[in-house]
Order: sequence, then structure tokens, then C-alpha cells
Amino acid sequence: MAGIYVHIPFCKSKCTYCDFTSFPDKLCYAESYMACVYREMAMRAPELKDYSFETLYIGGGTPSVIDEKYIAMLVAAAKKHFNLSPLAEITIEINPGTVSAGKIALYEKCGVNRYSVGLQTAVDAQLEDIGRIHNLKDFLNCAKLLKGKNFSTDVMIGLKNQTAADVEFSIRTAAEAGASHISMYALTPEDGTPIYTDYLNGELPSADEVADLYAAGLKVLRSLGYERYEVSNFCKKGKQSRHNLNYWKRGEYIGFGVAASSCINNVRTTNTFDLDEYFKCILSNRFPVINREEVDADGAEEEYIMLALRTAEGLNLTEFARLFGCDFLTKYAEAYKKTADYVEVSEDRFKIRDEFLFVQNSIIIEYLNAKV
Amino acid sequence: MGKKSNIRNFCIIAHIDHGKSTLADRLMERTGQVSERDMEAQLLDSMDIERERGITIKLTPVRMFYKAKNGEEYEFNLIDTPGHVDFTYEVSRSLAACEGAILIVDASQGVEAQTLANVYLALENNLEILPVINKIDLPSARPDEAKAEIEEVIGLDASNAPLVSAKEGIGIDDVLEAIVTAFPAPEGDETAPLKALIFDSYYDNYKGVILFVRIKQGAVKAGDRIKTFRSDKIYEVVETGVFSPNLTAKNGLSAGEVGYIAASIKSIQDVAVGDTVMNADQPAGEPLPGYKKVQSVVFCGIYPLDGSKFNDLKDAILKLQLNDASLIFEADSSVALGFGFRCGFLGLLHMEIMQERIEREFGLEIITTAPSVSYKVIKTDGEEIFVDNPSHLPPVSEIEHMEEPIVKADIYSPPDYLGQIMDLCREKRGVFLGMTYLDKSRVQLEYHLPLNEIIFDFFDQIKSRTRGYASFDYELIGYERSKLVKLDIMLNGDVCDALSMIVHEDSAYARGRMLCENLKEAIPRQLFEVPVQAAIGGKIIARETVKAVRKDVLAKCYGGDITRKKKLLEKQKEGKKRMRQIGNVEVPSEVFMQILKTNKD
Repeated sequence: MAGIYVHIPFCKSKCTYCDFTSFPDKLCYAESYMACVYREMAMRAPELKDYSFETLYIGGGTPSVIDEKYIAMLVAAAKKHFNLSPLAEITIEINPGTVSAGKIALYEKCGVNRYSVGLQTAVDAQLEDIGRIHNLKDFLNCAKLLKGKNFSTDVMIGLKNQTAADVEFSIRTAAEAGASHISMYALTPEDGTPIYTDYLNGELPSADEVADLYAAGLKVLRSLGYERYEVSNFCKKGKQSRHNLNYWKRGEYIGFGVAASSCINNVRTTNTFDLDEYFKCILSNRFPVINREEVDADGAEEEYIMLALRTAEGLNLTEFARLFGCDFLTKYAEAYKKTADYVEVSEDRFKIRDEFLFVQNSIIIEYLNAKV
Repeated sequence: MGKKSNIRNFCIIAHIDHGKSTLADRLMERTGQVSERDMEAQLLDSMDIERERGITIKLTPVRMFYKAKNGEEYEFNLIDTPGHVDFTYEVSRSLAACEGAILIVDASQGVEAQTLANVYLALENNLEILPVINKIDLPSARPDEAKAEIEEVIGLDASNAPLVSAKEGIGIDDVLEAIVTAFPAPEGDETAPLKALIFDSYYDNYKGVILFVRIKQGAVKAGDRIKTFRSDKIYEVVETGVFSPNLTAKNGLSAGEVGYIAASIKSIQDVAVGDTVMNADQPAGEPLPGYKKVQSVVFCGIYPLDGSKFNDLKDAILKLQLNDASLIFEADSSVALGFGFRCGFLGLLHMEIMQERIEREFGLEIITTAPSVSYKVIKTDGEEIFVDNPSHLPPVSEIEHMEEPIVKADIYSPPDYLGQIMDLCREKRGVFLGMTYLDKSRVQLEYHLPLNEIIFDFFDQIKSRTRGYASFDYELIGYERSKLVKLDIMLNGDVCDALSMIVHEDSAYARGRMLCENLKEAIPRQLFEVPVQAAIGGKIIARETVKAVRKDVLAKCYGGDITRKKKLLEKQKEGKKRMRQIGNVEVPSEVFMQILKTNKD
């Protein structure tokens, strides 16, 4: 199983927490940019001709900010250059402030079958505070357009002045709007973003308060029938994001566009973060890769463990033995002994116990330690 | 050599900051040893630590040539000495290699207590003393009073004492001339069998152990076979030379001279400072008198941060001991810290310097435990033992009583801070002995204080409470019976041996509370709640809790994030290497030192 990721680095305005590569003032380049993305696909097609792809994920930025026809052309290009399964999961991230019935209709027509809606919070004051361009009403309108469709909603925790009731309200709002999938993730204040000053000033909830918000959210999500399948991801039965699951299973993926990453045949590459540079590379038939790392067997094993333990079902022991030629519990006996209180083994699975999933780093690093 | 009458071996005695290194630099400059241009500030203080702290730790010899007014050329061997009271041992070593000592007295401050101790040491060694009044350029200089004080306090004739300003280069020629006339030439028969006193040594990666020697009788040259009195190993001399101030080869050293011997000596243990070098083929009978043995006063455990570096640490300590015999150590092990060493030092400064040198000069990261003193324990069966490691204290049932070392402390301060100093000394269980107004701006306070109170942040406190104006000196005067208890720290129910300390009963509660509070801050949150308790003989006297960590997860981990997140985890994993596992609690190495800092009261 392999996935395709396409990065659309445009948006209407930058949110205060955003650390992604996105250029609010360069929307005028969208057409040329998309042309380059199609070309990059063509450039990489030959080496990937034996791959079959199960997912296509169009992320950003705000993919819904550009003209929908480019999205249609993008899906068409992906189908043209790669073996994209007819049953492929095709997801697009949309901002509730940038959608219209016409856009959704065209997305549908070209094959998009999953939407990821950036709600973040249903509390208008908080939306404004983090610089979102939409309000609750926009979200509800957007949800109406998505009625009956498969969509996910992002909900952030750890916002300024956020209470457990706010988190609960946001989740209920998403659930009532019909989301089949909810991502509830903690805000990470990155250096260089405007929200980082709030963090430095101690205005954001502390780690313990975030833990409380998470616990409150988890409770509501479960009561509403959403199952946790990864530390930050919840869904109704069978509605996991196949694209993201592939990341956590350490599957292969190919990324197109600025800042996009790929992992093919144990080689991780990252494209340039610079828009001009990206144009120059593509127009001169060069790959826009700025970073290339070959992952050796040990590195692959480390990644596999680190990613698998993020998920609720944990690590598949049989698959581990098949991939790395050794028995996980034997090799990591020491770490297992040390963390015995926090993990569990059942049948073919090794996983972090439910109540410790939110403190997983301390547990995971024991398994990285054991190798050195 | 026949010119022995033209050699002068001397050292300089001065209080910290009275200008010893500056005068030494001037003497070297004036005798053409170094040109003014090449002079880096304070040549003899060559260790980084010495320059940074503005103090001399190690003795450093240097040879100079001076053409006196009588037309003769003289060879001067100056052996620089440390001024701090902790380093008296170093001083006594250099004294044994000299015939004379220059006593520098600050023209505005007069004779200081510390200086006095070294002067007496010099007199005990039969050295001629040449008083020099320094800093005469200062407006506050009162050279006549300083001279009178020298005559009154030390009983030396100071009427001809040169008046100098080392800083301004005034009076340096007078000093050089006085060295020729005031100090005697060395004695010793050049034709007699070799006897050379080892007054210092260090390890050179190419030449092996370099011995710093004063030839007392006979001569030595390359090719000679030598041995030391205490060892039977025989070495062939590869090189001899002098200090200018860098090692400079010179074939042959003879009676009266100061220089070095390199003889491909590989093992540090085979040559001890204070030992006598002899010619193996013509051994002299009796060795030279060695040095006064010194007593370690402060002790602490030193452990490698990385347990696998134990042997590197051992090498480092051995090499340091080679030129600082006052450093004593023995292998030790701790449940919490693994294998390491228990080391004894002459004082707190000595301890700090050694810790710093291990880290800087050998690139080793170390964990040091709280300093301790040596307690006298009188057991119920009458046996008397000394215990400097709290975890070696016998069970309470076997202890009849304990005694702790007491010091006599002299504290000098402007009168404005008397109240603060007296409060501090009271808190530290001090006994007030007396107070003397040295002049309008300086008071001397005398106290008896338990040494274990001094090693516990006394310096920091006295400096902060007097805004740095007070200075302080102490000497050990004996042991006194005291109500002492062992304070244990328990992490998650397990006693951590490396954190145990012996304290006075009256301060145990306060100390226990403070330790628990500091530990609570210093120990990172773990996956479970960690009670931090202080206990005396199993009775809990204080408790704090390190709450369990509740959020420890990397948000969103998708495509491009994976490498970055992996690096974050690896960094976190790297950080764990600095942790020590105590029971099932992970404790950062720094904790073992940090906990000694008192709260910001």
C-alpha cells in the first residue's frame, strides 16, 4: 500500500499557530504552481510505474482556496501518471470559509471522496483569536454542503482560555454536523509563529491543563461513538483515514509540491520550502529535493516502533518479525520489563495501554534506547 | 659549575590580590625573560581557571638572569606560590626548594592573616624574608604604617624594604638588587652523590612524567641512571632543563639549581612529590626531608557521568594527583551512582578547582556528591573511627557519640554588615569569640564554627549578605562533641545513598524540608507519582511529591514530520543518558550538586 500527497501552499491568511509552508500573498501563482505539480508528477512517474496507490491526500495550506478546476486537473494527473486504485481514498483539506456548493460538486465529480474540515474550535472568540478566517456559522454552512458525505473535522485543544466545556462543545458541533472522523490534537506552539509569544507569556494552557482538555474530549468522543485509533484521531466504525494510517504503518508515500515529503524504498526526501526554487527546479527538469536520507535497517525499525505505538492497536508482532527478522519482545526484553506497567501484549499485538497513550514519548524512548 | 654563589632561589608570599603575579611578571620582564610585547597578562597563571579567577593555584617555577650593580650576573629561580589558604601545601613544597622569600605587603592594607601563616611557614623552613611594600602608587598607600606593621606583627626589619608599584613598574630594580643581597646563595656539594627534591611533577604525553626538582647536592645529566628513594625502579635521564618559564633543555643540573628531569617515566605512581631523586649507580644514603603531610578537610564523591568512563576518570585523577599530592582518593561505589571515587581536598576551593580541572583538562563529565567533612565516631565498644562518607556511618545503635570538626574563622568586613554576619554565624551554630576594629572601615570577627556548616553554602551566604564586601578565612582547630544525625533522602520509598548527609539535629528538619523542595523542582516528572521524603533513622520528617507526567506526546505525526519527530525523540533519549536510575526513578545528574543550593529565602 502506498499513498500520494500533494501540498497546496496557499491560503487566505496565516493562522497564528501555523507552522506549515503556506503563502497567503501568493495566490496569484496558483495556476503556474499547479502546472508545476502536474509536471513533477510526470517526472516521477517512470520510477513509480510498478507501484499501486491506494490514497491521494490534498493538503496545505488551504487546498480549497484555489480554483476547483486545478483540483480536478490534479486528480486527473494523478490518475494519468500513477496506478491509483479505483477504490482509492481521495481526501481534500478544506477551510469552512472558502467553500461553495459549486466547489464541492466539482470535487465530487472528479473523484474526491473524503473531506478534512478545519474547524479547530466551535467557539467564535477562539476562532478569531487564532486568526481563522471563518466562524461557527461558516462551518455549519460547510457541513450542510457536506451532508451525507464522508468528512473529518479537526479540533484543537490547548487554545488560550479554552475550557473543557469548549472542547466538548466543539466536538458535539462536529458530531452533530455529521463528521465521521474527528482529529483532536494539541496545539504545539512553534517558535516563529505569532502564538509562540502567547506561549512565552504563559497565556496558553499548561501541559496538565491540556491533559485535562484531552481527557474531557476523549470522554465525549467515546460517548458519541468515536473510537480512538491513533492518539489524536477518532472515527466512527471503519472510517479511519487510510492515508494517515499508512504513515503510521510506515508505508511508502510520494509527495508533490513545495515542502512535500516522500518515503519510497527506505529513502526519505523533502522538497524545497521555497516557492521560487520549486518553480526553477521543475522548469529545468530537476527534482526539487533539498533533503535526502537513506534509512538503514536500524532506522527503519526505530521508525516502525515509534509510529506503530502511536496507534491504538499498536505494533503487529508477526509483521515486525517478518520485516525485521527478529522477535520484538525478545529483542526489547529490557525495555519491556521497564515499561511493563504501561504496555500490554495481547495475541499478536504490542501496544501502549489506553490510559498511557497521551504520555507515550517516555515509553517509546525506552524502546529506542534499547538499541544503543 | 662553580657559579653557585650567583644563584638565588626564592618564592613570593602574598595575600590574594596584593600583586604577587604582577610583581613576578615585572621581574621577568625587567630581566629580559619576556619582552613587554609578548607579555600576556599574568604569565605565571597559565591555567585558564587561574586567569579567570585571578588566583594562583599551582606553583610555577621560572629562571631569570640578572646583571647586578656589582657587575656579576646572577641566576634567579622564582617559584610562584598560591596565596589561598587551601593551598598551603603547595606553598610548603615551594618553600623547601628556596633559600629566600619575598613578602609582598599591600601599602594600603597592611599584613593579612593568611599571609602571616605563610610567613611563619617560611620562617620554619629557615628562609630569609625580604619584605616589599607594593601598590605605593595608590592614593590610600601608607607605606610607613605598612612597614611598622611588618616590624610589629612579624618582627622583621622592614626599614630597607623596597617601595614598589608592580603595576606601574616602580621600584622593580630595587627588588632585583635586594634579591642578590638579601638572599643567600644555595649550599650543597656538587661532587657529592645526587640528591634532588621533587617539588612538583606533571605528565607530558611525549616525555612521560616531568619532575620539577631542586638539586640539593651532586649533579645530574642526560644519560645518568636515576631512581627515587621510595621506589626501586631505575630510569635513564633523557633530558634535563630549566624553566624560562617554558621548559628549556639544558644539559646538566647541579647543586643549588632548580630545573626539571625527564626520564621516560611512564607510571605516575612511581614518583611522588616530596621524594628524593638519587643516582642509581651511586646512591646517596638518606633521603631529603619530605613535606609536612596535609590533612584533607572536605570530601566528596566523584563519579563519571557515563559509567563506562570510570577508567578515564581514574587516569584523570591520577594525573592530577601527580602534581597535587594533596588530592587524596580511593575507589568507592554507590548504589545510585555506580563506581567512582571518594576524594579528599584541602578546602572547598580546592575541591571546586579539582572538579573543574577534571572536566576541562580531561574533557570528562562528572557527577559530584554533596561535600562532607570527616566526623569522629566513638562507637559503643569504645572504637574510634572517622567517617567522611555518610553512607558508611555505623548504625545508630553502635554509636556512642559523634564529634565534628570545628574551625576558627576570621571574617573581615566593613562595619555596616556586622549584623548580617552575626545572624549568619548564629544560624550556622557559630560561637562568637571576639571582634576587633582594624581601622574605621574594617572589622575582624572571630568565630568558632562547625566545618560542616561552612561547606554548606556559607561562602555564598556571606558574600550575598555583605554584597561581596566581607572576606573570610578559616583553620581547623579540632573536634567537638555534637548531636549529629544522618539525614536520608528517599525517592519513591528507596533511600538514595548518594544524597544522604550528616547534619546537626537542630537543622535536620529545615535541611530535610529544603532538600525535598529542591528535589521536587529538580526531578522531572515521571510516568508515576514520585514521593520525595527526608528521613532520620526511618522517621519521615519532610515530604514532597513529584506529580506524574500527564501529557508527553508529539502532536500530528504525518509525512514530512516523521524524521523531525524521530529526531525529537532521539534528543529526548540522549537527555536520558544524563539521568541516573535510582530505584525506578530517573534523576538528572545535576541534582546531586544542585540540591545543595539553599532556597532563595
